[in-house]
Amino acid sequence: MSEPVNIRLLGPGTRVALIDGATAEVVSNPLDGVWVFARYLSSPDDPERVGSEEMIFAQDIIEIQGGA
Amino acid sequence: MMTYKGGYRPDLVDLNAGRISREIFVNEEIYREELERLFARAWLFVGHESQIPNPGDFFVSGMGEESVILCRDRADKVHVFLNSCRHRGMKVCRYDEGNTPVFTCPYHGWSYGTDGKLVGVPYFREAYREKLDKSQWGLVEVAQLCLYKGTVWASWDPAAPPFFEYLGDFLRYLDFSLDGWDGSEGGTEILGGIQKWLIPCNWKFPAENFCGDSYHNISHRSVDLVGIGPSGSGRRDMQERLMARRLQISFYDRGHQTGIYLLPKDQPMPASYQHSPIVAEYFSHCEEERRKRRGEWARVIGSPGEIFPNTALHPRQPRTIAVWHPRGAHQTEVWRWYLVDSAAPAEVKNFLRDYYIRYSGPAGMTEQDDMENWNYAHAASRGTIARRYPYSYEQGLGFETENYEWQGLHIPGTVMDITEAKSSEHNLRNLYRRWAEFMEAESWDELATWRVARAAE
Repeated sequence: MSEPVNIRLLGPGTRVALIDGATAEVVSNPLDGVWVFARYLSSPDDPERVGSEEMIFAQDIIEIQGGA
Repeated sequence: MMTYKGGYRPDLVDLNAGRISREIFVNEEIYREELERLFARAWLFVGHESQIPNPGDFFVSGMGEESVILCRDRADKVHVFLNSCRHRGMKVCRYDEGNTPVFTCPYHGWSYGTDGKLVGVPYFREAYREKLDKSQWGLVEVAQLCLYKGTVWASWDPAAPPFFEYLGDFLRYLDFSLDGWDGSEGGTEILGGIQKWLIPCNWKFPAENFCGDSYHNISHRSVDLVGIGPSGSGRRDMQERLMARRLQISFYDRGHQTGIYLLPKDQPMPASYQHSPIVAEYFSHCEEERRKRRGEWARVIGSPGEIFPNTALHPRQPRTIAVWHPRGAHQTEVWRWYLVDSAAPAEVKNFLRDYYIRYSGPAGMTEQDDMENWNYAHAASRGTIARRYPYSYEQGLGFETENYEWQGLHIPGTVMDITEAKSSEHNLRNLYRRWAEFMEAESWDELATWRVARAAE
């Protein structure tokens, strides 16, 4: 199992992988350690999500893929 | 804990005899009733708009025992929310103040926008199958909110009269604290941070003191001798005492009260702030402007007062608003806001800051005297024997005046002229009159008596 991601360190532009196989780019971070606002870049389970901006739960973020 | 079986009037609060039972200060059962009947129904002071100037700004305040969030949402609208997650009750904000896009509960992660709407629910798709109706689970918002000259007031009770009706004619006395010294409308701002501290006494000890208890001046004798005042003597500039009528004013149907000084017609305000030429000049100029703007009403100089139940006004020296937050029957958390004219020069604000903290707050010399009295008065009233004996509130009983007028100026409210008497407990009795009414009344139909009187006219 990979190390948990400290989402407080994720700035705007950071790309992250999500537990359901989707990827998203951080738009803003309220620094509460629980949520980030992010835009979906891909979503195999729900392609309609791509491009939409949602709050992403910390435990759904499994990996930092790059970006800012 | 003693179980009290009697009624509030006249058993506990006997205003005809001028006697009040110690039970109302020390009985924990009565205290629990206060939370429901007073603090869940009355209008309470929450904060000042200058504390939340920008969208996303918040300030954590209190109403009764409960934590609330005063915040400005993204659309610039001001809200007051209960600081408790709708899921399991955890505080959603544990900072004193700041700026945020969301309030997130650290327990399970529910998250709320600054408009109070539930916007983030972990595993909303998976665990809730998207069935949770988020619109039903926003933060609890106060039933009524009023913004007045920068101050923010709120009530949990949708049936409470609107704030201005709740104040009635007392509004003009609140203005003494909120208008600029030159009489400009709402020309004040909060100076520095909010002082917060605990005192081991019932919240009504400080509340009654600020209603206009001038009898306790002897307590501050040592401060007067030190001479912390802004002109180098006493604790305040009080030269008006030598020429003004000194009045206590109560509003029987509302429960608000204040002291004032009423200057003689065409008599200029005595010089003040003589320790600093810049500050003295500023207030001298303001006084001239105030006379032009307010006319005869400028003869009235504010003095301590209280908006029922727990907001204290100290409109002149120092200029502050205090809230007596109840923290159990035997403890009070004081929050004190300091006010200055927004337009005052920096030198004036700095001078006032130094003077204010010399006088008020946990380190203020005058407030320390008060705290010591309230602390030991409360402790000595809790005993089995002590609580059998009521306090005396008989000063000036029967000498109240309606339609008071002096040298052409009519003063609204029921007035006690204490110029010669030096002291009265008129205003203190009014606090407990309203207290007893709130404790007994089942609804605002019984409390808003002025509506009945108005309908009958």
